[in-house]
Amino acid sequence: MSMGRIVQEQKKETIELSLPVNPAYVSSARLTASSIANRMGFDTEGAEDIKSAVSEACAYLINNKAQSGVANFKILFMIYERKLEIEIVCEKGSGLGEEEEDDYCEKMILALMDAAELTDNDDGLRIFMSKLQ
Amino acid sequence: MEFNIVSKFDDASGVWQVGVEGEIDIYNSKEFKKELSVLLEERSADVHINCEKLEYIDSTGLGALVGVLKILKQDGKNLHLRNLRNSILKLIKITDLDKVFVIDEVR
Repeated sequence: MSMGRIVQEQKKETIELSLPVNPAYVSSARLTASSIANRMGFDTEGAEDIKSAVSEACAYLINNKAQSGVANFKILFMIYERKLEIEIVCEKGSGLGEEEEDDYCEKMILALMDAAELTDNDDGLRIFMSKLQ
Repeated sequence: MEFNIVSKFDDASGVWQVGVEGEIDIYNSKEFKKELSVLLEERSADVHINCEKLEYIDSTGLGALVGVLKILKQDGKNLHLRNLRNSILKLIKITDLDKVFVIDEVR
């Protein structure tokens, strides 16, 4: 009988981007995501999926946080040997954010990435996603 | 990145021939919808969009197209998309909008 060994991948690097809660800079997030995915060796389709998912997540965040008084949000790209994890976080803010229903955004993120999780509570908004090479 | 629209009414076929270039996202999707809507205010007709130079469109851009389609449907007209990139066709299929838009040739 052989015992399987669970090996956890070690994180190699983290890239952190801080962007204004402003639609004008979502393209910057896309470019960064695309660049990192290509550098990691994702194929064309995988890199496009990551780029689109990041763009959708940013759009979702901006639609929900635009009126909340928060100036910036963060995107963290966590690079592993064969996996990219992305975390997009934004503080709750003091203003009354408009909660916009966006069926397409969430549906796209879930379809494009291998795993995705969205939480929005008193601590703020967090979108986590990951994709394996 | 910005976008550019070139449009011409084709008298022979009675449709709007539209070329879209660039990227459509949350920053410019409202402007995109407005530019297409202006065509329909001028003349109501099917809209055929050549997406050969459309590099990226997000869900807000697809939402803008849905908004334009709603206007078209009121007059019994339709929206056709052709020469879509595979990556964009994938997004359209994920959102089931391939059942709503008429997808002509794919590149």
